[in-house]
Amino acid sequence: MYHHSARVRLSLAAISVTGLLVLAGCGSSSSSSTSSAASSSATTSAATSSAGTASSSGTSVSTSSCGPKPGVKATGTPINIGTIDTKQPGTDFSDGPNMITAYYNCVNANGGVNGHPVKLFVEYDQTQPAQVAAAAKKLIQTDHVVGIVGVFDLLECTVDQSYWKSLGIYEMGAGIAPECWSTPNSAAVNMGPRYSSDGAVQYGLSQHPSKVVFVQSNVPGTGYIAAGPAALAGAAHVPITELTENVPINDANSVALDLVNKAGSGGWVVLNFTPPEALVILQAAQKLGLEDRVKGWGCSTPCNTDFLASALGPKWNHKLFVNAELTSADDHNGPEMQLYKAILKQYGQSVAGGIGSFSQMGFLLGKFSVDALGTVKGAYTIKSVNDAFKAIKDEKTELLCQPWVYGPYPLHIPNNADFTTTPENGKMVTAQQCFNISSADPQIAQYRAAAGTAPSTNPPTS
Amino acid sequence: MPSWTDVEQFLITGLSLGGVYALSGVGMVVLYRATGVLNLAFGAVGAMGALIAWQAINHWGFSGSGGFWLAYLVAVLFGGLVTLAYGMVFGPALAQRDPLVKATATLGLALILLGVMDLLWPSSGGASRAITFPTDNNTFQIGQISVTYTNVIALVLGLVITVVTGAFLRFTKLGTAMRAMADDREITAALGVPVRRVTAAAWFGCGCLSGIAGVLLADLVALDATTLTFLVLSTLAATLIAQLRSIPITFVAAIVIGVITSEATPISSISNYRDMTPFVLAVIALLVLNRRRVISIGRQGV
Amino acid sequence: MESAGVQSAENTTAAAGSDAAPEAAPSAPRTGRAPDARSFVRPAVIVALLAFVLIAFPSMFSQYYVDAWTQVAIYSIVTLGLGVLVGRVGMVSLGQGAVLAMGAWVAARLLFATSLPFPVVLLAAGLITMLLGTLVGLPALRMSGLYLALITLMLAGAITVTLANINFPNGGHGFTGYNGASVHIPPIRRPSAAITDTAYFRYCVIVAIVMFVLVLVHLRGRPGRAWAAIRQSEAAALTAGINTTFYKLWAFALASFITGVAGGLVAGSFRYLNSLTFTTQDSITLLAVVLMGGAYSMWGAVVAAFLLKFLQALLNDWGLSPDWLTILFGIGVLQVLTTAPRGLVDQVPKDLAKLGRLLAKPFRRSPAAPEREEA
Repeated sequence: MYHHSARVRLSLAAISVTGLLVLAGCGSSSSSSTSSAASSSATTSAATSSAGTASSSGTSVSTSSCGPKPGVKATGTPINIGTIDTKQPGTDFSDGPNMITAYYNCVNANGGVNGHPVKLFVEYDQTQPAQVAAAAKKLIQTDHVVGIVGVFDLLECTVDQSYWKSLGIYEMGAGIAPECWSTPNSAAVNMGPRYSSDGAVQYGLSQHPSKVVFVQSNVPGTGYIAAGPAALAGAAHVPITELTENVPINDANSVALDLVNKAGSGGWVVLNFTPPEALVILQAAQKLGLEDRVKGWGCSTPCNTDFLASALGPKWNHKLFVNAELTSADDHNGPEMQLYKAILKQYGQSVAGGIGSFSQMGFLLGKFSVDALGTVKGAYTIKSVNDAFKAIKDEKTELLCQPWVYGPYPLHIPNNADFTTTPENGKMVTAQQCFNISSADPQIAQYRAAAGTAPSTNPPTS
Repeated sequence: MPSWTDVEQFLITGLSLGGVYALSGVGMVVLYRATGVLNLAFGAVGAMGALIAWQAINHWGFSGSGGFWLAYLVAVLFGGLVTLAYGMVFGPALAQRDPLVKATATLGLALILLGVMDLLWPSSGGASRAITFPTDNNTFQIGQISVTYTNVIALVLGLVITVVTGAFLRFTKLGTAMRAMADDREITAALGVPVRRVTAAAWFGCGCLSGIAGVLLADLVALDATTLTFLVLSTLAATLIAQLRSIPITFVAAIVIGVITSEATPISSISNYRDMTPFVLAVIALLVLNRRRVISIGRQGV
Repeated sequence: MESAGVQSAENTTAAAGSDAAPEAAPSAPRTGRAPDARSFVRPAVIVALLAFVLIAFPSMFSQYYVDAWTQVAIYSIVTLGLGVLVGRVGMVSLGQGAVLAMGAWVAARLLFATSLPFPVVLLAAGLITMLLGTLVGLPALRMSGLYLALITLMLAGAITVTLANINFPNGGHGFTGYNGASVHIPPIRRPSAAITDTAYFRYCVIVAIVMFVLVLVHLRGRPGRAWAAIRQSEAAALTAGINTTFYKLWAFALASFITGVAGGLVAGSFRYLNSLTFTTQDSITLLAVVLMGGAYSMWGAVVAAFLLKFLQALLNDWGLSPDWLTILFGIGVLQVLTTAPRGLVDQVPKDLAKLGRLLAKPFRRSPAAPEREEA
């Protein structure tokens, strides 16, 4: 009897939980996705309206220019491409592969690749190495993919590099682990934490501070990341202090105070964190009234969002300098940027973050892979497709500072010129045009010795 | 060695952190004293309330100062209602069981809320959310540091809750009834106390406390479901030092933990280990205070 | 088998009064039965099932699911350890995730620094984890109930912070074996006989079987009876002359040992370890699945590991968010604690039997057949 009534209670509880979910889901998820689709989750009306005007001018370009035969659906045998991406509470990179799928859908509706549609197989993992390794095998053995494009993953480059090497696969993605830039079988469209931190420190060094304090989240690979800024500061003969903080941060006040004390009044503080953590540190510095206690602040590329700019407020205008690895969609609106926005609007319903760096990187990866696939003569096999990927060179794009290249090099750092942005009244604006990351970083020097220095071009303005 | 100005400055941030721990620590002990349940989902309930308030402010049009306080009210009510629902559905079923079982059950609630929060407010696309109190813009100076009034509110609120609930539980009829029920439900019922009404009042009141603390913590720490849910680990340390009995000791212990953690920040050699402070202090306190063995007569475990 | 053993211990404790120690009590109810054909069936079925799993399983599933089953095998050892603590002795530990992390750390360090054979490394990882676990847990064992659970949570928190700072070995030198600036991280080696994923699956199953046998031997013997007595009532056990602290320590040591060995298997399975792999939430979901699967039987441990690891792989394959699993575990904890304390392993057969009777009702000849109330 006791158990029976308890069962009834329990089923009532389960029903109410489901009801709560459904109700809240109808209420919140639709509104949050529509608002975030307008811009990268900006909250001020100013930011929303500016993004609105940008996207309305973007739709003047027809999406059919993404493919070779506008309006003609591709009907041949599909070309299977695979990817592995991190998706777990707190770290969700699904916007990247979702944008690539959108790009492929556009291409497939407009002629495909030599008449073949391209299909993307996405495997998600929750940062468990065994999962990542198994996903790689699944893609090759079960899904029979011939190329790996669009890896946005915390672990993948580390775990799978020997497997890709044994198969002759040259993957393309947006990397995070050191191996994404230090092996022959992986090339990234982004800069990654080390080189983006280099860029932020490099800008700070150009302002002649007396000291640099570089702080990052205490996740694996901190030594590798910190080595870049240390080399740059050493070459400039500026003392540098390197710190790590455990995340998630509970006591942002103490962290901000410590940073400011260590940097001193002539010092430059550079942060390398994910947006939520960087935001709490900067907000704590502002609440404590510390933002003017140092010469300047810097941040690696994850900070380059309008959301951060609007959440920080006007006190940080031209005080925080963020390294930007991709051209801002707000500032520039050339034909390629318009195409990106149009594809996002027409095919990218599943891209929750809307216009932003993840979808931009997805667009680039889709474009580079389709362009390369178009050069394949004959059958689409692992060998033919990956030879084409490896042969990618001189891919000029408005979204990057320099043409992108793969090439037969022992390591790949193709995105090695960036520019710097700064918040201005709720938006990120350009503070410095494209510049090459300094060769004082030994890895950059090694890459340039093998691949040469691609000329960095200022992105065209609309 | 840090200089004296360092010590002074980190004392201020330490009091701020301590205020954060004190607010949720006191809330948990109050609930334990009133219902006999150590609610490990305290942080999760508060986090969800804060996220609902964020949703209201940013997407449901609760704008401006008036909108903020209305959203805050919604968060508080949410906390109260969810905790009340939990208490009424699962409270009676577990009333006879060991406090360990009751606490473990609240872990179940915490897991459900964690999953729901991540589904409804995902972290894709680099999204970061923040909630700001109107009092964040009002500051005063102590030395070279500005202190926002929100920090003051947190500390004062913790103090007020300590004093008021302590007095309530001790001196009022309803409070005494709650304490009696937490001790032994059946005897209290036999004495003629309206058990269901008292239980409901206890759960609802403490749930509102979760909501109040939740939004404050979202402002002072971070508006992130995982961070706020697992903040209870550090606040548990303060409650354990007070042996889940004394609300004033919880308050003081929380402040001490906050100050020690903060003071360790500038000392480079131990700075990265300062997150261990609550755990180490709790273990030491538990061992020192429990030198005598306590043997339970009844059945062990769940 | 094991439930009968527990029951006999409970009977003898109840009857023991104040003079007879459990060691002296003969297993009277069981020796009276003459061995017959039925007592061979159950072990034979189990052996056949294990043989099937070892031999046929890998070819039935794709590599992705073979890896999922490998995780099930490894984590069934962990859930077994926690099940012994929770179900047999009555000690709830909220820190087994940290113990697993310690075991993985030790194993990884040894695998990089020495060329000891893999089984020796597993043994060493188990022993060192056992030592660390008991040292760290020793002062806590004087407590019981809620305080014990909370102190294990605190200790786990401290261990997690420590591991986040010294990091996991990645082929570097020094005590921690961590090279933060490494550009190419070498993978952790596997046993020479089990390098492929399929072979490693079999290896893990075999190690799991060995651990289960180890626990079974404990449960059948003196420790098992003492644990049952402590679970029933620590005060009564004390009066009966059992050294409760010693036996609680033994349970903790056993759980730490097998979890340490499982940590070694994790190191070999994942091949790249970092502090993100082991989180605080893992310890909590571990307790949740152990409660759901059933802390009182050895099959419950396998069910718990299945819930934890296989469902995750399944949901991932179907493109569903892992949050649904978190919600499921939360509901499961509530369900188990309020209605089905013995977990799914006990409850599902009962539920199925009830369902069977319900379905058979219309077909029953006699309309006045009394329904047995299932307690």
